Amino acid sequence: MSDQNDPMAEIRASFFIECEELMEALQDGLQELEDGSEDPETINVVFRAVHSIKGGAGAFGLEALVRFAHRYETVLDEVRNGSLHPDSDAMKLFFLAADHLSDLIRGCRDESEIDEATSDELLTRLDALLGEDSVSEEVEPETFEVQGVSLDLDLDLGEEPDDSATVYTVRFKPEQDLFATGNEPSMLLRNLCDLGEATVRCNFADLPSLQDLAPETPYVEWIVELKTEAAEPEIRDIFEFVDGLCELEIIGGAAPATLDTSGPAEAPSAEEALPPPATGTADLISDDAAPAESTSAKVVPMGAKPAPPEASKDGEGERKANTTAAKSVVRVDLERIERLVNLVGELVINQAMLSQSLDEAGLSPHSDAMNGLEEFQRLTRDIQDSVMMIRAQPVKSLFQRMSRIVRESSAAVEKEVRLVTIGEATEVDKTVIERLADPLTHMIRNAVDHGLEATEKRQELGKPRAGTVTLTAAHRSGRVIIEVADDGGGINRKRVHEIAVTKGLVPAEAQLSDGEIDNLLFLPGFSTAKQVSNLSGRGVGMDVVKTSIQSLGGRITINSEPGKGTTFSISLPLTLAVLDGMVVNVANETLVLPLNVVVETLSLGKDDVQMLRPGHYVVRWRGGFVPLYDLGVMLGYRHHRQTDPGSIVLLIVLEDGSRAALVIDGIQDQRQVVIKGLDDSFYRAPGIAAATILGDGQIALILDPADVISGMGHIRGTDLMLSERKIANE
Amino acid sequence: MTEPLVLQPKLDLPAAAPLADALKARLDGDLTVDGKDVTQLGALCLQVLLAAAISLKSRGHRMTLTHFSDKVVKQMAQMGFSPETLAEGRS
Repeated sequence: MSDQNDPMAEIRASFFIECEELMEALQDGLQELEDGSEDPETINVVFRAVHSIKGGAGAFGLEALVRFAHRYETVLDEVRNGSLHPDSDAMKLFFLAADHLSDLIRGCRDESEIDEATSDELLTRLDALLGEDSVSEEVEPETFEVQGVSLDLDLDLGEEPDDSATVYTVRFKPEQDLFATGNEPSMLLRNLCDLGEATVRCNFADLPSLQDLAPETPYVEWIVELKTEAAEPEIRDIFEFVDGLCELEIIGGAAPATLDTSGPAEAPSAEEALPPPATGTADLISDDAAPAESTSAKVVPMGAKPAPPEASKDGEGERKANTTAAKSVVRVDLERIERLVNLVGELVINQAMLSQSLDEAGLSPHSDAMNGLEEFQRLTRDIQDSVMMIRAQPVKSLFQRMSRIVRESSAAVEKEVRLVTIGEATEVDKTVIERLADPLTHMIRNAVDHGLEATEKRQELGKPRAGTVTLTAAHRSGRVIIEVADDGGGINRKRVHEIAVTKGLVPAEAQLSDGEIDNLLFLPGFSTAKQVSNLSGRGVGMDVVKTSIQSLGGRITINSEPGKGTTFSISLPLTLAVLDGMVVNVANETLVLPLNVVVETLSLGKDDVQMLRPGHYVVRWRGGFVPLYDLGVMLGYRHHRQTDPGSIVLLIVLEDGSRAALVIDGIQDQRQVVIKGLDDSFYRAPGIAAATILGDGQIALILDPADVISGMGHIRGTDLMLSERKIANE
Repeated sequence: MTEPLVLQPKLDLPAAAPLADALKARLDGDLTVDGKDVTQLGALCLQVLLAAAISLKSRGHRMTLTHFSDKVVKQMAQMGFSPETLAEGRS
């Protein structure tokens, strides 16, 4: 049976998708804890994420995952119940464990080799937390648990009729496989007790003598009388992951008064339906503080808050949970979305064709057909925007991956590094997010390895011990800007220059500005690392990053300040599917330029163009000069520059703020074009980003103007700046 | 007085069989079970302790549980026992 038709394979696949979401929640929760969140819901979220992963993994027999998650969860449970107060080392360990959990999930999903050694190492460290905790507990009786629960309970029972509470009788009998999958009845019972007030009874009538007992076989069952405001599904949820691994009966609906009296008057059905725990039952209250003495009392169980606090639980944390829950989500196969995107692309092309046909038919702009077309265009654009929104995802998942990179790379080079993320909710096309992971990873590693000074040096400089890497995402002018900033020493430009000269990348006599030197980092084979570290220094670096970003239609720039740090900015298109473009003619070719780079169009006047030096021209613009390039010459369509008066010039602004003027022959239109990626079989031509199909069915190349200008020579990017500076000097 | 039986820190599934073996060897007299190191008490080990308590009781001996931390006492309570009731194997 193929995977496609195998329902188990589908469920399994869906489990791994859920794991991704759970891991995201786990990372979020850990981050909140590290940031000092005192909201009890935070640790609950963290715990539940690991617990759910464990439960699902158990159902699929993923033992390595279950084993790790189980012990990780045990430690988190200690945090949850207030027995363990994690310090910064413990938090680091929790993050490492989360990272490893993520690896285990991936390993299980891909059926690749599981790193048991790391599991063992981390589990030993996690267990050590438990050990220390148990010692400290002896000294510090758990204030959290004592919290006067019995007092509160008396008040609650006395003062509140608690109309919404219902009494359920839950019978739970674990089977042997429940233990084998890493589950533990005490944990389930505890979670059950958390829902309200519970009386737990253990029925051990079937327990054989010790001599006859098979230690790994469960013989006992529990009967819990639970007074709670929770609905039955919520109770069942607790047992979700042991479904099929236990006997479970829930009988509910009795009035709350049942628990106040010892008589079963108002819950006869429950009592009748369940086997009486006549012989050998322990009937105890799950009280945290005084179990021995409380045999005859009804006490609020651990974790269960009395009514007023319960109400306050509906505060921030609960609201947060509700907000998440309220978002209803449909999972759709990405292929289906791709198909929809492609169809919408075709729709845009067809609309352009129709528009052109109507134009050529010479219809009046006020005719019904033209008005209808206008409406059609508007709808097409709305549909396109909406479809693009489907593919848009917050960059959060990407940023979370980066926080792991920071942890690992800082550990590798023994630096203390703090990652600050800003704008996690910024949405970017899913395809862009996926393809950003590698370049960002490299940039983060670079920032940690090269950008930040060693801890000792930072202290000498009076900087905070821990370096900060800031990852920012934002929408700006229809593009996505992602920045990686460090608060390190900035680029050592003298050294960069020396290396570039040594490697023959720039002539020794070249006088370069700071910006030009910074851009040398993007040259192939450039590396300033004196030694090859675990992370970087192999000379494969920022040039690869730059190429990756460019292949996404993006641009990367550097801004560095000595002693204060370096910021790498990536500017990306919001989507890789459509583009607002300016359709132009150059040497009888139709080309498309991204509209957002064009700031102005000019018509050349008689004295506007001046020669800077042979082959280098500038154009006068608003009292200054801007380097002038003939697009036809640059793309090899013609040999002679067109700088006659009346020629059309597009003034463009590049990401680094520099300007350039491009000579073209004419402007056809401004319109939205569908980006069609060029197949790998086409060699990458500098300056050509992609192609599109125009309304008349003609294929037009989409240009990347900055690449046209900077990609002509190996440091043409700096060339442009050089020209601008010379112009400024003149 | 016989030496107390000192329990392992983690009384989970893998610990159940060794615990049962250790207890089986100590059914011939009163038994003190020392829980000072215990951090986690699972249902299977609780069941083993309960069976041992009942077996001891039927032979006229008694079991005493000592030095369990509050945390473990709480875990017992979640499963419906206190150290006293567990030691007495009583309902």
